[in-house]
Amino acid sequence: MILTIFKKELKDTLRDRRTIIAMIVIPVLIFPIILGIMTKVSSSFAEQQMEEVFDIAVVTKDPGNSFVAHLTSLPEALGPKKIHFYEDSTGIREEILKDSLQLAFFIPQSFEEEQDNNRQSTIEVILKETNTGSRERAETYIRSIEKNLTENRLNKINLDPKVLEPLSVTYQNLSSDKEMIGKIAGGILPYLFIIFGFIGCLYPAIDLFTGEKERKTLETLLTTPLPRWKILTGKMLVVVLSGVVAATFALIGLFLSLEVFELVDNPKILEVVRSILSIQFIGMLYLLLIPLTIFFAGMMIPVTIYAKSFKEAQSILTPVNFIVILPAMVGFLPGIELNFVTAFIPIVNIVLASKDLVAGNIDPLLMFFSFMTMLVLAFLSVLISYKRFGRETNIIS
Amino acid sequence: MIEVIDVRKEFTLSAKQQKENNTKSKIAVAVDGISFTCTPGRVFSLLGPNGAGKTTTLRMLAGILIPSSGEIRINGVDVVKHPNEARKHLGFLTGSTGLYERLTPNEIIRYFADLYGVEKDQFEQRKENLFNLLDIQDFQNKRIGRLSTGMKQKVSICRTMIHDPEVVIFDEPTSGLDVITAENIIKLIDDCKKQGKTVIFSSHIMSEVDLLCDDLAIIHKGNIVFQGTKKDFRSNMQAENLTSEFIRIINSEKKLEQ
Repeated sequence: MILTIFKKELKDTLRDRRTIIAMIVIPVLIFPIILGIMTKVSSSFAEQQMEEVFDIAVVTKDPGNSFVAHLTSLPEALGPKKIHFYEDSTGIREEILKDSLQLAFFIPQSFEEEQDNNRQSTIEVILKETNTGSRERAETYIRSIEKNLTENRLNKINLDPKVLEPLSVTYQNLSSDKEMIGKIAGGILPYLFIIFGFIGCLYPAIDLFTGEKERKTLETLLTTPLPRWKILTGKMLVVVLSGVVAATFALIGLFLSLEVFELVDNPKILEVVRSILSIQFIGMLYLLLIPLTIFFAGMMIPVTIYAKSFKEAQSILTPVNFIVILPAMVGFLPGIELNFVTAFIPIVNIVLASKDLVAGNIDPLLMFFSFMTMLVLAFLSVLISYKRFGRETNIIS
Repeated sequence: MIEVIDVRKEFTLSAKQQKENNTKSKIAVAVDGISFTCTPGRVFSLLGPNGAGKTTTLRMLAGILIPSSGEIRINGVDVVKHPNEARKHLGFLTGSTGLYERLTPNEIIRYFADLYGVEKDQFEQRKENLFNLLDIQDFQNKRIGRLSTGMKQKVSICRTMIHDPEVVIFDEPTSGLDVITAENIIKLIDDCKKQGKTVIFSSHIMSEVDLLCDDLAIIHKGNIVFQGTKKDFRSNMQAENLTSEFIRIINSEKKLEQ
C-alpha cells in the first residue's frame, strides 16, 4: 500500500512543471553555468590583462636616463607597453583619469646623479587602481628595473648579488593536491548538495501535503482503508527522493561540465576533481545526504500539514531556507574543522564531514557521530510529522 | 447499515478561535450526543442549516474525525476501534470533492481501486460498467485539469463506487453543481438505493430531500430536533410545504434557546 501511494505521488510530482524545474533543470544546469562563467571570465580576464598595451607616460627632462633605458628594454612578456615622454606633468592626471594613459612615472632630475652616488631616488607613480591590473603592471616594471639597478651597483663594487640573498629556500608541500582542493573548494560541493537537497524537497512537500488540502483531495484519501502512517510514509518517501534526485542532478551537472562540456581545462585540477569523485566518495556523500534529506522532509512536512494554502506554506518555509543556508556556509569559513563538538551540530556536521571526505582525511569516528546525529534528528522530525499528520485539526481545514 | 449511538464531538478552541467565536469556553461542541440508524435499501437524509454539525457527523462516520464519546458502527464494525476495517465498506463523496489534476480518470480510478484492495478481475469489470454508465470512455485518458466540472463529477462518482461499497456517504453532494451535473448525483443515489445499499446524505435543499429520502433527521446546533420517516414528517407538517416546515422547526428551536 505504501508503494501504491509512493507510485501515485511520484507520477503526480513528475507531472508538476515547478517541481521538475526545481528538481532537475536547475540542479543539472547550475555547475555547467557556474563553471562556464568562471572559466570564461577568469581566462579572458587574465588574457586580456596580459595582452593589453599600456600607454605609459615618463615625465623627465632627460629621456636618455638609465630608468628609461631599463624600462624600454623590459621583455614583452611582462606586458606590452608604449612609452610617451613628457617634460612636465601638465595634463597627465586628466589623461590617466580619461584612460588615454594607464601609468605615469615621474623621474627626478637628479636621478642619474643619485644612482651614480649609490643614493636612493624617489619615483612617483600615478595610476588609477580601479583599472584592474594597473597596480600589478607598475609593480612588475618597478621590481624588474630595481633588480637591474641593484645588480649594476653590486657589479661596480665587484660583489656577487647572492651576497644579498643569504638564504636559498625550497618548500616541500606534503599536502596532496586533493587535500589542498578539499581545503579551498571542498565546502562548495556539500553547500550545493544541501541547497539542492532542500529545494528539491520544498515543492513536493508543499504540493503533496498543503496542495492536497487546498485541492480538497485529502479528505477523500483519508476515507480509504489505509492507516495514516502509510499515507504519510508514501508521501514522505517521494519528498525525500525528490531532494536526493535534485542533489544527484547537481552532481550529474558537475560530471557533464567536466567530461562533456570540458569546462575545466587545467589538467591538474581536472585530475584532482576526478580522483575526488570516486564511487567510494559518492557513496559516503549519499550516506550523509539521505538522513539530511529525511531531516529536511521531516522539518517541512509539519509546516505543510499546518498551512492552509500553498502561499502560506511557502511564506513559512522561505525563512527556514536561510536557517539551512547559514550553517551550510560554514564550509567556506577557514579554521572550522569537524571535531567532537561540530560533529553534533546538524547541517554544519554534514558540510564539514563532506569537506573532509573531499580532502580524503575523514576521521571515521567523527563521520559516524555526524551520521548518527543526522539519523536521530531525521527520526525525531519524522516522529513530529507523524504526530502532526495524525491531528484531525491539522488535516481538515 | 449505519448505527450512531449517543455520539458527541468536541473541538478544543485556540485562544484565537475563542476570540473569533466571542466565547471564553475552551471547548466547542459540534455534535451533542446524537443517535440514529440508517438501514440498507433506504436513503437517510441529514438536514440542517450551515454549521449545524452535518459535515462533522458524516466525517465521524467516515472515520476522518474521531468522536469524543459514543459509538458508530458501519455494517457492524466499530469505526473508532477498527477505522480501516470500517472504511472498506464505505464510499464517501462531497460536492466539493477534488481530484488529482495531473492524473487521468483511468489513473485515479486504478489508484483508488488499489487503495481499497480491489482484485484485478473485479476492477476491470467494475470499471467498464461504471465508465459505460457514466460515459467516461471518451475522456478516460485526458488529465483531470482539462475536464469540465460535469466530467470531473462523473469521475468522482466512479471513484466513490469502484470498490462497490455497501454504505455510501454523500456530504452536500450537489452543492456548487449545475442542474445537469447534480442530476448525475441524484441518479446515483437512486441507483444505490435500488441496489440495496445504505445511503446517507446531507443537504439543505428540500426538493432533493423530498425526491430521494425515505428517512430523515434534522440537526440543529449539534442536536437532532426531528427524526423519523419522510411519511411521518409529511403527516405531522404544520407548514404548507417541506421547506417551510424545515424553517419552522429550526426557528422554533431558536426560540426555545432564547
